[in-house]
This record gives sequence, C-alpha cells and structure tokens, in this order.
Amino acid sequence: MRLALNVFQWLLLILAAPLAHGIIAQAKARLQRRRGASIWRPYADIAKLFRKEDLVPPSASWVFRVTPLVLFGAMASAAAFVPVVQGSALLASRGDFFLFVYLLALGRFFLSLGAMDGGCAFGGMGASREALISSLAEAPLLLGLVAVAILASHADIAGMVGWTLQQNFFKISAVHILAFLSLGMAVLAETGRMPVDNPTTHLELTMIHEGMVLEYSGPSLALVEWASAIKLHAMLALLIALFAPWGMAPHVSAAPLLVALLVYFVKVGALMALLAVIESSVAKLRMYLVPGFIGVASAMSALAVIFATLVKR
Amino acid sequence: MQLESGELPLSFLLLMLGAAVPMVLVGSRAKGARLLAAGMLIAACLAGSFVAALGFWRTSSVLMDFTGFTPFPFTLEIDRLSALFLLLICVVAVPVAVFAVPYFEHHCPERRRNWMWIFFSWFLLSMIVVVTASTGFAFLAGWELMTLLSAGLILIEGDSAERRHNVFIYLLMMHVGAAMVVASFFLFLPYSHGLDFASIRAGSAVLPPAIRTLIFLLAFVGFGTKAGIIPLHLWLPRAHPIAPSPVSAIMSGIMLKTAVYGFVRFAFDFLAGGPSWSGYPILVAGAVSGLLGVLYAIGEHDLKRLLAYHSVENIGIIYLGLGTSLIFLACHAPLWAALALVAALLHTFNHGLFKSLLFLGSGAISHATHTVDLEELGGLQRRMPVTGLTFLIACCSIVGLPLFNGFVSEWLTFRSFLAGAALMGTKAQVVLPLMVGVLALIGGLAAACFIKVFGVAFLGRPRSTEAEHAIEAPLAMRGGMTFLAAACLLIGILPGVLLKPLVALAQGLVPGAGVPPETLAITRVLPWIAVAVIGIAGAAALAAALGRVRRIVPAWGCGLPTLTSRMQYTSTAFSKPIRFVFSAVYRPDRKIVRLPADQPYFPVSISYSSVRTTSYEKSLYRPFANLFVAAANQLRRLQTGNIQVYLLYIFLTLISLLIFLRFRG
Repeated sequence: MRLALNVFQWLLLILAAPLAHGIIAQAKARLQRRRGASIWRPYADIAKLFRKEDLVPPSASWVFRVTPLVLFGAMASAAAFVPVVQGSALLASRGDFFLFVYLLALGRFFLSLGAMDGGCAFGGMGASREALISSLAEAPLLLGLVAVAILASHADIAGMVGWTLQQNFFKISAVHILAFLSLGMAVLAETGRMPVDNPTTHLELTMIHEGMVLEYSGPSLALVEWASAIKLHAMLALLIALFAPWGMAPHVSAAPLLVALLVYFVKVGALMALLAVIESSVAKLRMYLVPGFIGVASAMSALAVIFATLVKR
Repeated sequence: MQLESGELPLSFLLLMLGAAVPMVLVGSRAKGARLLAAGMLIAACLAGSFVAALGFWRTSSVLMDFTGFTPFPFTLEIDRLSALFLLLICVVAVPVAVFAVPYFEHHCPERRRNWMWIFFSWFLLSMIVVVTASTGFAFLAGWELMTLLSAGLILIEGDSAERRHNVFIYLLMMHVGAAMVVASFFLFLPYSHGLDFASIRAGSAVLPPAIRTLIFLLAFVGFGTKAGIIPLHLWLPRAHPIAPSPVSAIMSGIMLKTAVYGFVRFAFDFLAGGPSWSGYPILVAGAVSGLLGVLYAIGEHDLKRLLAYHSVENIGIIYLGLGTSLIFLACHAPLWAALALVAALLHTFNHGLFKSLLFLGSGAISHATHTVDLEELGGLQRRMPVTGLTFLIACCSIVGLPLFNGFVSEWLTFRSFLAGAALMGTKAQVVLPLMVGVLALIGGLAAACFIKVFGVAFLGRPRSTEAEHAIEAPLAMRGGMTFLAAACLLIGILPGVLLKPLVALAQGLVPGAGVPPETLAITRVLPWIAVAVIGIAGAAALAAALGRVRRIVPAWGCGLPTLTSRMQYTSTAFSKPIRFVFSAVYRPDRKIVRLPADQPYFPVSISYSSVRTTSYEKSLYRPFANLFVAAANQLRRLQTGNIQVYLLYIFLTLISLLIFLRFRG
C-alpha cells in the first residue's frame, strides 16, 4: 500500500510538472493584465513536440542525442526522493539529500555537454553561464539542506520531514527561516528563474537555459522541457516538505491522504503565486551581479548551519 | 609453499620488474624484445594484483626479508594498508602498460624506447617498494629511487633547457620533502629499537609530546610536497605536462598516492592521530588545495597542465577526508574517524583510476592530433568514439556524478562532514558541517571545468585540421582506457566490493571503530539509482523513438550561410565568467601594446597578451632561493682551492673533535 502511494507521489511529481509551468505562466499573465495561455498549454506543447521531427546539427555526436534521455532520467529519479502527501517517498529513506542534489548535477552536466555539441555559439554561451551559476549555487543549496539535517539529526529526506512534522510550527527556530530563504534563492538560481535567468527570453544577450536548449527540437526538446519542469516541481515540493510539511497524512488511509493532497495543492499553489509575483516585479540581474545574489544565499546558509549547531548544543 | 601465501607471486613481481624486463631490453633493440618486456611487465603486475587482492580482501600477510643482501635492515611486508596501495599500483599499471606499447613505439625516439621501458619498470618497482616496505631504510630507498626514476622518465623524452629547468625544480622540491621524511623517521630513533615499522610503532607510545608534534609536522610537509598540496604544488603543473602520457598517468595516478600512503602510515599507524589539533591544518590544507587547484585548472587550456592542477584539487579532497578523520580521532569518535578515513582512502583509489584514465585520454588525443591544446581540438567524439566514451566516463567520475566512482568517495566525505555536527560542544561541531559548502564549491567548479574540457575537445566542430583528420587510437590504447573506464563504473555502481575491506582496513587503523552505517547505505542505494536513471532514460528513449523522424540539418547561423568552428565558444571564452568572478585568485598580467604609440586612436597593430603569474614563485619561493644563493656565496669563500688551506681545515677539525671528546667524557 505504501509502495503504491510512493509510486503515486512520484508520478504526481512527474506528470503534474508541466501543469506547474502552465500555472506559473498563467499567474504571471494575470499579474501583467493579460489573459495568458491555458494552464494545460505545456501538455499540448509536449504532445506536439513528440509528433515532430527531431532535427540534429551535422556536428553533433551521440552525446547530443543521449543528453535529453539522461537529463530526463536523472530528474525523474531525483523526483523519487521527494515526499508529497505523506512523510516518505520511493527513495527518500534509502538515499539522502546529497544524492538528490547530485542527481540534479548529473542532468545539468549532460545538458551543458549537449549544448556544447550543437557546434554553434549560443550553446557554448549558455553552458558557460550555467557553469558559473550552478557551480556557485551548489554550496548554498547543500548548506541550507545541511542546516535542516542538523536540526533533524537525519540526513535522509524522509527522516528530515518526519522530524519537522513532529514539531510545532511556532516552536521552529530561526534556522528554518534562514535555511528557507537561502534554499529559495538557490532554487531560483538552480531552476533558472528570475532574477537569475529569464525563462521566457530568447534574447541571445541574456539567455542561459534557453541558450543551452536552442539546438534541440521535436521529442528531444519535449524531454528537455519536461525534465526542467520536473526539476522545478520537485524542488518546490522539497521546500514544502522540509519547511511546511504540516497537513501530510500521518498514516496511510484514504481520508487523510485526500486532505493531504488538497493541502499540498494549496501550498504549492501559494509557492507558484509567490514565484509569479517575484518574476513580475523583479528585473533580471546583470550576469555578474548573480554571484553576489548567490553569495548572499551562501552567507545565509552558512549562518543557518552555524546557528543549527548552536541550537543543537 | 601454499597458494594462500603471496611470497611467490611477490618475488615474481620484484624479479620481473627489477631484473628480467631490463635484461630483455638490454639484450635486444628489436620491437619484439619490447613486446616481450611489456608482456612480462603486465604478467608481473597481474601477479602483484593477486598478492594485493589476497592481502586486501583476506589479510593474508606477506613478509619478505632481504636484510642479508643489503647493508641495512630491508624487509617488505604487506598488511592491509600496503595491500590497498599495491592493488592500486598493479591495477593501474596493467592498462597503462598496455596503452604504452603503441604509444612509446610512436612517440619515443628509436634509441630511447628501450630505456623508456627499463625506467618504467624500475619506476613501478620503486613505488612497490615504497608501499610494501616495513623498515625505514627500505621505504627511504624506494622513495628516493621513485623521485630519480620519474625524473629520468621525463628527461628521456628530450632535454631542452626548459625541460631541464622544470626537472630541476621537481628534483629540488622532492629532495627538500624527502629530507623532511628522513628527519621524521630518524626522530623516532632515540625512542625505538630500530627503524623497522614494528619498533617504530612500539616506540611512538613513549615519544615526548614535542617530538611527536615535530614528527607529525615534518611528515605532513614532507609528504605534502610529494602529494602537491598548495603551496607545495609548484612542481606538479611543471613536471606532469612534459612527461609522456603513460608516465604522467603513473605519476599522477599512483606516485602522488604514495605520499598519501606515507602520510596515513605516519599519522594513523605510527602516531595514532598525532597532537590533538592535528586535523585542522590538514583540513585547511585540503580546502585550500581543493579550491585553488580547481580554480587554476579552469584557467588552463593545455589539457595536461589542467589535469595536473586537478590532481592538486583531488589531493585536496583526500586531505579533507584525512583531516576530518584526525579531528574525529581527537574527539574520540572512532566510528566517524573510520568513515572519513574510508572516504579519503576510497577517493585515493578512485583518483588513481580516473586520473590515469584522463592522462591516457590526453595521450590518445595527442597521438591523433599532435597537440593537447584545447583551443586546437573539437569534434573528436565523432572521430574517436571509444576514446571519447572512456574520457567522458573519467570526466563524470572526477566531477563526482552519481553512478561514477568519484561520487561514492565524495559522498562519504560529505557524510563525514555532516557527522561532525554531532560532536557536541567542540569546534569541530561548527567547522565540519561548513566544509560541506567548500566541498560543494569544489565539486561545482570541477563540473564546470570538465564540461569545458569534454565540450571543447570532443564535442562540436573541430577547431584545426589536425583535429578534423583525427583517427581513433590503436586497439591497445583503446583496450587500456576501456579497462580503466569499466573499473570506474564498477566502483561507481557497486561500491561494496571495495568498501567492505576498506572498512576493515580503517578499523585496523582506528581502534574501536565499528562499521559506519553510511558505507552500507551507499552500497544499497546506488544500484537502485542506476536502475532508476537507466530505466527511465531507456523508457524515454522508447517513447521518443515512436514515429520519430530524425533529420540532420545545419544549425541556424543567424543569417550567415554556414557556421564555422571559429564561431564556437573556445576554452578561454567558456571559463571567462568564472575567471572574472574569481579574478582575485588569478591576478593576470595583461599587456596591451598599441603601435604606433603616439597615435592611440589610429593604431596600426594592437597586440594583447595575458600571462597568469603564480605569485607563489614570486613571493614565497623567491625569498628562500635568494637567501640560499646568498648563503652559498658566503660559503664559497671557504673554498679557496688551495690544498694547504684544506689541510688546515682537516687539522682544525681534528683538534676541535679531540677537545670536544676530552671535555665530554
């Protein structure tokens, strides 16, 4: 039963990921007084791309063609670490957050290689910028998670979520605030959202993620886009599970699970609304200001770790 | 003699490498002789890995006594620690030797090929002596031979002035380091009966704290010079790039590890942890070497220099693990000390595998294109598929991506940092969890660097005609690289094969340690991750292949008729953002010369050069060198060349010795 539930959570994270993209886009459109596209639009895009031709540049090797598959495999595997409606997930008690973060790194490594394989300038440009940002963003991401892990005395995500579930919301220490802020900033950098990267741009001077996927088309592009949607969804779900898991079903039975699912939708909806507000109100940072942005996140996460060890003492 | 005992294969190994291989090569200059010698060398290394495997997995200890043949006590003994490093040497030496057969035939001048093999064989032998020695003299003899023979291997390739200068720096630094190692051995002498390891162990219990600290520091700096920790790394980016690729593979993959072996032998086996603060300098040295090493590597576009700087980085990661282990030892947390030690030793082994593979890959590249300058490469994946695939596996391993071996050891290091949070009320409780950030930054920058290396060298379009007409390396080279790549993948997915004996080894070095649960956890989860990633990727491949038409179409050139290789990002361009952000580390010396100088707005020519000066040479080594030269100049006054004066010196020495003895007794 628990296994079936874990599989359901995992599929939810993967299958609802394009919907998350659609909702954020719709919310942004509303904030900008546009009507915007339907929230189901990303599904239509993916379905359309799966029916189209796969165009491959003449210089590309098999690395270019394998990249979307590895990226999708890594992101979908990472999603298996994240609890959604109850405090466990397929791999949440077997592996820990280091594995989760490094699976994301595996996907990113291959995406950058695929970009370099296209043989045109934009791919290299995107990969080079992504290399800068992601190499810096890894430290605050891991340190923020370390702070929570120290408080919970667990390194596996299920254990961390279980500990938070037992705490009273008002008794949670300031470490959580610092860790949440730094992780949130790291997630913005990691998933290529404003103010680090503009996901809707196609202007060559500013694009990072879009530059990397420029040569992809057809089913390959569908997999790449879907994988980045899974990454965003899984990271939002991870933030919820670590910092506001209350409402998750304490045991496996139908009614609490349904409530938990609804509560999850409300929470992830709130995060997506927050994301839309940020994206509509903040200008994209100049590229060389991003290290400062990540530096602030790193400093906060380091403080979170220090405070966490002091709290434990 | 039973089959269980390893004396027979070990003596086979020593005889083959020491005598038989050189004799074959001295006897004949024919290619067949070299093939026979290579075959014998490989057979010897296989026998060696058999002994090592017995010692590592079953702890069947081997003892050989050569004291009768030498003026000093000279015994070889294989315990678990020795067996691990002997295994590394033999397992890496086999594929490297296979690779070297065609490589030396193509790239070595005819009259020097035989010498190359002779030195190669002796070089391996010297390292085997270092890691199996159980007396101080045997260790030091091997240590010295190792330095000299590797210098010889570099000089065989050629002896231009620049090469000699680099070898001079290498030898100089190695001997300063060796002097410290010698001193740290001899400091044991008043307290132990001899310099065999058993007496040293017994004697270390009665060492006064001051001597103990001194020995620890001397061993740290002495072995650190060989390992290449910053700022003692100066020789590394000079010596590695000029050696032939198989030799670089051995030097970086194995020779640096003998320093780790020596340090572990001293710090853990002899001193049982050293002074209570001993972990912190090691941790700082590891963090500095790791960060600066990877940053310098990103700035390079000579592949072999870049890889040399990555050796500095990986030694840094190993030292991070060793330092953490020493901190846990001082805090009386043997379980986590064992965990960190396992992490460091596993990373040592892993680095030996993937770094030698990377150097072999650079050899295959230079074999095909006659250059290792990244700016001249590109598009090699389509032309050298096997080299490309194995190189990619090595890149993923060194970056520490899941499913590749580097990840396992980095993950264990991460977890030992995290375990530090449970050391209530100590400095380590705060320091160790913060090191997660340092290691994450090192890992992220290493990923950036190897995206650059693989992306620029193997992907996209060729940037030179040599790269365009590159052909795949010969079968032997491919075979050697494939073997190492398979080993990286095996440990990456099924780390249990090494972790179990490694835990037993750590338990031997850290008394009272249990089995760290993390080592079991990673063994259990990685196969699942492999199944998940590969399974999902396979399913996605099937889904994407349904009714798909693949068409090869030129990339959109923004209106230009064709894209050329000049439009791709270069290695320098790729690393520019990182170099810009970390410009304080690089401090480039830029020169822009406009001609003619009196017309700044209408220049006829502008030349630009940017040289990264390493400030170590200027501000750290130069003062020492100046002092030394000045002292030597003063001492020269004693050397008049007049025989009467020398007789006077002897007479004065005699008189003063007699006076000394008279008043002493």
